[in-house]
Amino acid sequence: MSAATAPAMTAPEFRAAGTDLSERRRSGLSCGEVIDLTASPETIGVAWNADGSARVGALTAIAAIASDARLAQAYPGITAAALGLATPQIRHMATLGGNLAQRSRCWYYRNPQIACLKKGGADCPARSGNHLYHVAFDLGPCVAPHPSTMAMALMAYGAKVTTDRRSGLSITDLLGDGSNGAADNLLAPGERIEQIELPAPLAGECAHYKRAISRSYAEWPLVEVCARAVISGGTFREVHIAVGGIAPVPLQLTACATALEGKPATAATIAQAAELATSGAKPLPMTGYKLELLTGLVRDVMERIAT
Amino acid sequence: MTTTTVNGRVESLPDDPDALLIDIVRDQLKLTGTKLVCGAGVCGACTVLVDGAPVASCLMPAQAAAGKSVTTVEGIGAAGLHPVQKAFMAHDALQCGFCTPGFIVEATAFCDQWRATRGTAVPSREEIGAALSGHLCRCGAYDGIFRAVADACAGRFDGDHVAAPRIEARDKVTGAAKYTVDINHDGQLEGLILRSREAHARIAALDLAPARALAGVTAVSLLGDDKVVRYVGEPIAAVAAKDRKTALAALAAIKLTYDKLPAVVGLDAGRKDGAPVVFDKASRKRAGNVSEAAGGPAPWKQNIRGPTAVFSTRAKKARSWVDEARQANNKLLVEATFRTATQQHVCLEPHAAVARFDGDRLTLHASTQQVFHLKEQIAKRYKLDHDKVRVIADHVGGGFGSKASLGTETIAAIELAREAKAPVRVAYDRQEELSVAGYRPAAELKVALLPSDQGGLKALSVTAHADTGAATNSTIAGLARLIYPAEAKDLSDFDVISNLPPGAAFRGPGGPPMAFAVEQSIDEAAQRLKVDPIALRKRWDPDPNRQRLYDWASGLDIWRNRKPAQTGRYRRGIGVATGYWLYLWQPNVKVEVAVKAGRIVASTATQDIGTGTRSVLADTIAREFDLEPSDIDVRIGDSSLPEGPGSGGSRVTASVMPPTLQAVRKLKAQILEQATRKPAPGSNAPWRELIARSPDIAVVETRGEDGKNTAPGIRSPLREVGLMGMVFGWMMRRFSNIAVGAGVPSSVQVIEVEVDTWLGHVRVLNVHTGIAVGKIASPALARSQACGAVIQGLGYALYEARELDPKTGDVLTAGMEDYRIPGIADTPEIDVHFDEAGFDHVLGNSVGIGEASTVPTSAAVANAIHDAIGVRLTEIPIRPDRIVAALKGRTAA
Repeated sequence: MSAATAPAMTAPEFRAAGTDLSERRRSGLSCGEVIDLTASPETIGVAWNADGSARVGALTAIAAIASDARLAQAYPGITAAALGLATPQIRHMATLGGNLAQRSRCWYYRNPQIACLKKGGADCPARSGNHLYHVAFDLGPCVAPHPSTMAMALMAYGAKVTTDRRSGLSITDLLGDGSNGAADNLLAPGERIEQIELPAPLAGECAHYKRAISRSYAEWPLVEVCARAVISGGTFREVHIAVGGIAPVPLQLTACATALEGKPATAATIAQAAELATSGAKPLPMTGYKLELLTGLVRDVMERIAT
Repeated sequence: MTTTTVNGRVESLPDDPDALLIDIVRDQLKLTGTKLVCGAGVCGACTVLVDGAPVASCLMPAQAAAGKSVTTVEGIGAAGLHPVQKAFMAHDALQCGFCTPGFIVEATAFCDQWRATRGTAVPSREEIGAALSGHLCRCGAYDGIFRAVADACAGRFDGDHVAAPRIEARDKVTGAAKYTVDINHDGQLEGLILRSREAHARIAALDLAPARALAGVTAVSLLGDDKVVRYVGEPIAAVAAKDRKTALAALAAIKLTYDKLPAVVGLDAGRKDGAPVVFDKASRKRAGNVSEAAGGPAPWKQNIRGPTAVFSTRAKKARSWVDEARQANNKLLVEATFRTATQQHVCLEPHAAVARFDGDRLTLHASTQQVFHLKEQIAKRYKLDHDKVRVIADHVGGGFGSKASLGTETIAAIELAREAKAPVRVAYDRQEELSVAGYRPAAELKVALLPSDQGGLKALSVTAHADTGAATNSTIAGLARLIYPAEAKDLSDFDVISNLPPGAAFRGPGGPPMAFAVEQSIDEAAQRLKVDPIALRKRWDPDPNRQRLYDWASGLDIWRNRKPAQTGRYRRGIGVATGYWLYLWQPNVKVEVAVKAGRIVASTATQDIGTGTRSVLADTIAREFDLEPSDIDVRIGDSSLPEGPGSGGSRVTASVMPPTLQAVRKLKAQILEQATRKPAPGSNAPWRELIARSPDIAVVETRGEDGKNTAPGIRSPLREVGLMGMVFGWMMRRFSNIAVGAGVPSSVQVIEVEVDTWLGHVRVLNVHTGIAVGKIASPALARSQACGAVIQGLGYALYEARELDPKTGDVLTAGMEDYRIPGIADTPEIDVHFDEAGFDHVLGNSVGIGEASTVPTSAAVANAIHDAIGVRLTEIPIRPDRIVAALKGRTAA
């Protein structure tokens, strides 16, 4: 099909494995210079610090993260998120940094014939058009959910991102608060992600990740949740819940997590707290269903952690 | 220059940063077993191994393979078939074969790793489903794939023995099978199509000169005389150039000016008073056709064509009875409105054609369901002698109804090739395939079903509005005439035309939406009458084929042990539904059966779109001669062979079997007559000896009329409809070359689901499909068809919907991430029951299976969900958003 009217991206783009970029090059969405990233010891693999914290290179493949036994021991939510995204073939190729920096999967954005905020357009066609799979927390002018499952899982773990220019960036520092509809992240032109620092896990913490989809596998999440908690003496001590698929950026469900802390780890308290998962939600006309899925998914994940 | 190793050979890699691994494999190395389908890493058809790990070669930059070892499907079978390949062949884990190389590569890697760590343990369905979750098969060969992978891992295919029920299976598991997109003539150009960006416009100016000014570029206009485009994506022009990149530049160079016209999009907007009119009277002949046959006349006002109501009987009576029942608040009156979604065919091989002129002779490779008819259409359109046009389709990567016409890809390829004086390939990309290549129209169905006081069926009213886009001729409601006789039926079909791409025939056109609405209404009636739903169908539906299927279904353990309604998060339910399709066959079909150089050769100009036509012919003939199917050479996929049937309307088997059997009988007689030496007394292979010694003999036979020896109750369904039915049948034969035979191919399905009420997820646990299509010609392949039909039906029920921008009609689900077809892990256990009676009057006793077997699935799923959660889902696909909304609605009420 003609790309004659394509509002194409002409800025240089970094390429890790290319699982996102290749598709955008084929459709004509990206047509600027490509700069291939090459792995160095700092940017690939997992390194462990004496305090039990870990550093994951940005060019580490998702499959390598998913199959790393020590990561699975310390950060089971990261492992489960890595295993839950995309397909086995993509996981073999795609990298952690690429997952964080991938572009929106919005069906308007991906159509090279249609202008949108992320392509320099004046407004968001999904907002006034068909936004069946879009946000239920309407935080900015663009209504596409952020596509990065790994960002959501890293947020649950309080991970910090190091770029070639900056360090100690939280996921929110990296991706923003959703108010900037023109970009998928706040990286400066030419800035690239190099490492991700994972704080040492809490003693005795449990974690779980799950996505709600219509089929069994290989689908962008309608809603996804990564949660971790310390349970001692049958009581939730520390709880972190991050969610994706429902907002322009991954979100922490603070009200819900706070409501659980200090409460018995039972189905009843979880059901009650899960009702708070939708605090602050502003669904679009077609995305109200995501709130019910969110409540159900938070319940599901917290129950699994509690048992 | 960097290099990579492909299947053990060192190959150079280009410096172009945009070159992808698949380009190297397919274009540079001509290893065409690796297929390009989605271009987005979703479907897995392009999977190759890089240093042993399966990757998506459609996304991997070629340079990333530098210094690595790449293995394609051709490399896997090179030193002898891998156990996975043998297992796929033995279990018939493939149909059209286009996804097969990708599955083979992934499954081989999985199997090797499994064997290395787990020995010959058998992986579970869950383990296989997860491992192959990056692959999609549109034919729905998953049932065989589960069995094949499990058995290969278990070491059951380590030996040398290779057996395959599908005779071309080896070519498909090794990547040797050539599809239209794989054809690569010397000097071949790549053609692309310029498509409308406007939903409705008059083309004020089209200037191809800037494109033609580019070196080596040919451009032709595809605009109609009225220069009006009526949907986003309507073809305007086509270009050909040495490669895709140059062709894209040529498309961009074309100067185009639109005069915009007001547009209207979709079923609801199209029906509104004062909506912009899509086809004025003069342009109505430009509308496409969504059925398998030509349509009759119908009223057509603005964007609404209809009602077509010829299948009504005592319609006024039906309406007044329903009105009375409504006013009397009759609790037995079932009334509901159902909505079905637009279903895309999603053929994994896109619509594609490669045209080559040698002087005034045209050779066209096409991904088509009708090699013979396509040749005739081309000869007529371009005023060519019929013997100067040859259409070839060795293998076709799926069709499902969408490749049964002379399409834009073919027109563009021919016209560009003629203009360029060079061969031209036009192959749709995935966006085109998922937007402008046809679809099953969405529909709204209003049903009123009134039982009589005596427990009979008094009245049935169905009004269907189909979202046909720039096309007409939908029959949905009318199909409710040929099942469940009632005292009165009011059946009206309307096409709602709007500025959307034209719909097309899709596997049982009109059948699945009719069943979704009517079969749920029957279920509801059973509940109100407090009668077992199968018992009620048995009472209301006297068709002898289905009577036997109802007996089978009601005897299933799963049906007899149904549990009462459940509570809690996960709820299970069981549903039943019925479906049928007409038994169609094509007059004038000819089959040649010959002895050539001591072998039996069968020839007819039909094609195999994954349905198994080659094997049906080989198996049938082999049985007659007491030979192995591999002893028979089957020649199809070439229009220069004797006239064969199109692959539509489930008509191929019923069209080719009778003339094949007639030809075999005559050939046998001639072989014996000319035999100089009789077979040795007591020979266990007399025909093998006779054939080996026979001179060349050829017999051509034509499909004759069926016999009169129909079983009791088996009649032509159209005859039962009376005069209008007979007229309809006559028209089908006169204008579409399709005969409607006696007896009704049928399917009854019982399906169990589990609904996760928190996440709105529906898991289909098991499916029992009973099928009555006469004698099964090729059992393993028929089973594959039956399972594939169920899996497509599950997609229709649960996942698949075309989504649009409501204003422009831009298809948003134009990639396979967003248009969701079932994956292997979504596939339940499928129990297939064949009832082989009912078609004794057909020579060979076999009719087609493809369509009848997919009609009831969505309704059975919906009935099972109702059984599970107590809420009736009246709109498909039944996605999580609809489940949670339905549950909430119930709580709120």
